[in-house]
Amino acid sequence: MIRFENVTKVYDQTARPALDSVNLEIDRGEFAFLVGASGSGKSTFLRLVLKEDRATSGAVYVAGQNVAKISSWRVPRLRRGIGVVFQDFRLLPQKNVFANVAFAMQVIGKSRSVIRDTVPEVLKTVGLEGKEHRMPHELSGGEQQRVAIARAVVNRPGILLADEPTGNLDPTTSMGIMGVLDKINQNGTTVVMATHDDDIVNEMRKRVVELKNGVVIRDEARALYTSMIPVVGQSRRLKDASGREAHDDGLPGEGREGEAQR
Amino acid sequence: MRLAFILSEIGSGLRRNVSMVVSVILVTFVSLTFVGAAGMLQMQINQMKGYWYDKVQVAIFLCSEGSTAPGCATGSVTPEQQQSLNALLESPAVAQYINDFQFESKEEAYKHFKDQFSNSPIVDSVTPDQLPASFRINMKDPEKYQIISETFSSQPGVETVIDQRQLLERLFSVMNGASLVAVGIAGVMIVCAILLIATTIRLSAFSRRRETGIMRLVGASKTVIQLPFILEGVIAAVIGAALASGTLWAVAHFFLGDYMSRQYPDTAFISSGQTLILAPALLILGASLAGISSLLTLRRYLRV
Repeated sequence: MIRFENVTKVYDQTARPALDSVNLEIDRGEFAFLVGASGSGKSTFLRLVLKEDRATSGAVYVAGQNVAKISSWRVPRLRRGIGVVFQDFRLLPQKNVFANVAFAMQVIGKSRSVIRDTVPEVLKTVGLEGKEHRMPHELSGGEQQRVAIARAVVNRPGILLADEPTGNLDPTTSMGIMGVLDKINQNGTTVVMATHDDDIVNEMRKRVVELKNGVVIRDEARALYTSMIPVVGQSRRLKDASGREAHDDGLPGEGREGEAQR
Repeated sequence: MRLAFILSEIGSGLRRNVSMVVSVILVTFVSLTFVGAAGMLQMQINQMKGYWYDKVQVAIFLCSEGSTAPGCATGSVTPEQQQSLNALLESPAVAQYINDFQFESKEEAYKHFKDQFSNSPIVDSVTPDQLPASFRINMKDPEKYQIISETFSSQPGVETVIDQRQLLERLFSVMNGASLVAVGIAGVMIVCAILLIATTIRLSAFSRRRETGIMRLVGASKTVIQLPFILEGVIAAVIGAALASGTLWAVAHFFLGDYMSRQYPDTAFISSGQTLILAPALLILGASLAGISSLLTLRRYLRV
């Protein structure tokens, strides 16, 4: 569903690249966590999928299409196939729950009757039935994020990108949100979630892709937030991949552990 | 559905930005009024030129009933007098200064008069008898008017010789100057209008960046995102243009039509109906000004 072939993204010629020769494939219907410290390239990854930015080199394929080859007037069509959720919800404060979700359908020209049928259904999926007429400020953080998820999936995208969706929520609420995302994933949507939240990653036991300084340093199925592969081998692989992490060799174990604690 | 959505977006944009929208309306109103005023002055000049202005320079008016000029002692011009005047015009002494000349009978004079004063109530009280017949002369050199004047003023049957061009030209140069001033002011005001529209659209785009950001994410097309902003500017400008057209109509109707034509009944003024020709031009000008300036602004401030 999403394939990165040797993708490098450079924002500033003088600094290190945000993504450095990333090769990655996420299959249809998969649930993948993108973990790593701030600045490791998680958000850049998501931006490249959405064609908010162009890759400096390499190719990004979304649903089999090379996004670099999509002309600018067809970018909206690409984005209709991708739902996005953010840490800060991004709801429209002057619209109620129903209108916030309906907005995503109105702007792509769905008819009123389709909207009337679909929105309550989606709100039920995210566990918000009966709260259609609440305003965003009358909802808890978790409920607001559920509205945002409902808005992201109301047009039935094949991919859902979540950029730290639990970053503003307490652990219990976060688990509720993860339940919603899992349900959406089980309905066949590919979910890619960038996160710092180790509890959630450890709980879900899904695929984990770890980025560090723009390089994929780990890609494990049903993994934990912290690597289970022996750290020494990890560091050597790192060095081979980028040549930048040589200092890790001197202090194996500590380097990886310290990374994971953050 | 999408149309309804775009309309509701425009409505909310206009409501949220009322003061800016009002200022856009006023600025386009004032600038387009000046544009229209320049147009109206030109129309008025054409109106006053009448049928003969561009064709001849000098008119020899012949005596009619009740003329008091010394040459009209015998009353209305007789066919013989007219014959001899015609012969004089054709004689080599005069013909060397003249390109050609035409005779305008009372009936023709009445027809041209009716055309020129069609907006004025005076037309109903005039009959062909009251209008003098005339010879209309196209001079080789308009400066030689004196020669014609001297030759014909004292001829029997001639009421008066008039250099129409000289009479009107001074007035027209004043009016042309006034329309230049109007165009100059209009130019400055239009620059103001363009900048103000650009600022308004920028503010509007900024105050709705949340919405547009979400629209972008869920895959709204460029048209759906940008059209409400562009139409906001266009609607404001069109309202301004409509106000300007209304003002010009009111000036023509109440000032020229009612006041001035009573003060100067012998002058032909443009009718209020004629100013409506300017309205579509003003509307199109206003709409395209707003459309182009908001399009350029959005290209810079609203990424899609």
